[in-house]
Amino acid sequence: MGSFLDYFLGGIANGAVIALMALALVLVWRSTRVVNFAQVGQAMFTSFIALTAVNITGSWLIGLIVGIIAGGILGFIVHVLVMRPVRRADASGAIIATFGVLIALQSLAAMIWTAEPRAYPTPIEYAGLTIFGRVVPLTGYDVFVFIVMIVLVLFLTILLTKTKLGLSMRASAFNPEVARLSGVRVSRMLAIGWIIAGMVGAVAGVLIAPISSLSPNTFDIFLVFAFTAAVIGGLDSLVGAVAFGIGTGLILSLVTGYSDASNAPIVALILLALNLWFKPDGAFSHHKARSV
Amino acid sequence: MLEVENLSVSYGPVKALSDVSLTVPPGRVTAVIGANGAGKSTLMRTLAGLVKPEEGRIRMNGQDITGWGPEEVVRTGIALVPEGRSTIPDLTVLENLRLGGMWRTGAQRTASENRVFSLFPILEERKHLGADTLSGGERQQLAIGRALMCGPQTLLLDEPSLGLAPLIVTQILHLVEKMARESGLAVLLVEQNATTALRVARTGIVLNLGRIVISGPASDVAADEQLRHAYLGY
Repeated sequence: MGSFLDYFLGGIANGAVIALMALALVLVWRSTRVVNFAQVGQAMFTSFIALTAVNITGSWLIGLIVGIIAGGILGFIVHVLVMRPVRRADASGAIIATFGVLIALQSLAAMIWTAEPRAYPTPIEYAGLTIFGRVVPLTGYDVFVFIVMIVLVLFLTILLTKTKLGLSMRASAFNPEVARLSGVRVSRMLAIGWIIAGMVGAVAGVLIAPISSLSPNTFDIFLVFAFTAAVIGGLDSLVGAVAFGIGTGLILSLVTGYSDASNAPIVALILLALNLWFKPDGAFSHHKARSV
Repeated sequence: MLEVENLSVSYGPVKALSDVSLTVPPGRVTAVIGANGAGKSTLMRTLAGLVKPEEGRIRMNGQDITGWGPEEVVRTGIALVPEGRSTIPDLTVLENLRLGGMWRTGAQRTASENRVFSLFPILEERKHLGADTLSGGERQQLAIGRALMCGPQTLLLDEPSLGLAPLIVTQILHLVEKMARESGLAVLLVEQNATTALRVARTGIVLNLGRIVISGPASDVAADEQLRHAYLGY
């Protein structure tokens, strides 16, 4: 049994990676109004590619860069090969298609890299920091993940709210017809949304892999957690995704600490149900009911 | 100049436009009037590239743009203010404006922005507010402003009076007429409210069941009682 503080610190660390994955979900939702259940599959697949690069070059950083590029390319491929054709169907068709992509990527990864879990290296030693002469369950790596998350959120917020590209992307999601009439090439914006989300997902994957180990299925549980965080955050809000990503991490860490790790997914689903019951637009959502 | 030749549009088996030909000359307002379902909005949406025509040609400054998508059509100098609320409530007033004409140079965009703000001062006052905080009339001004940001030679105005108080409609339409006269803008105005539309227009075109039944000086069309009775129902 550890102390509350231990669980708390561990929760924040876990929350940061959940937040990163939730960010990717929010990005796809914002640009295409589709919940991308394949996001963890894409992240897993690109993490394997990144790991291959790490094994060849011996550099964690090169692995990250290769992973980000692969994530962008994979996002684009999923958009062109799967999402663009099914867009003519209704929204539920697109969501079901993302499940198909998830299963396909997991099978493909198992064929290429086998289903055996692999260790993924960290850029910073994965060991508890010593604070006031006491080893706490917060590692230097956790702090690093946290900083990466903050930088990424700032970068994405500026990209979406302060640039022409961001304005085009938001307008394309809110009202494609007005965007097209204004001269925005909406189909290109949808593709860019998938590419950026794929890149963010890749960062999340490379950062999660050392914690969870890497196999075709080890990221699945993060889908549940990230989806919970993104939905409670309102699906539209980057800040919401981050806040509730960390919040979800905290709660799950406390649940794991005081009861058992196997209870964490159940608690996540209970949180999700409570949220949908009481505040279906999301806690951070500032929009009234929208009919898109 | 926007020129339309023998345009026909169908929605499945339903013919929405048949053999429509017209030109939209610069410096004046051309009004298309007609009852509900006459094909007015279909005409506008086809000209803007949102609907693909079945037959006929659309030319802008001599260039054939038939079948082009809206994001390409707008680059040729045709901007549509669609029917209803064509602003994006989730964006601020300034963001709604800046959405228009992003392919243009910074100087062109700044010039257009200043022009829009001098035409519609209320938009400058509210530029940092969400578009959802605007009144109906202000929203229509914003919608027109967004279209003007695209630097159009031809402005297509679809039913701007919809859901607005008559006084505001008159104000907006007179402003549009003045803008056309002073800057040489070609305006194609579609209206169910024929009286107001014909007052600001130089040419009146009456559309009935997808066909042009009358085309001539707006004052003649407005004075023709028989025609009003037959096609406009008042």
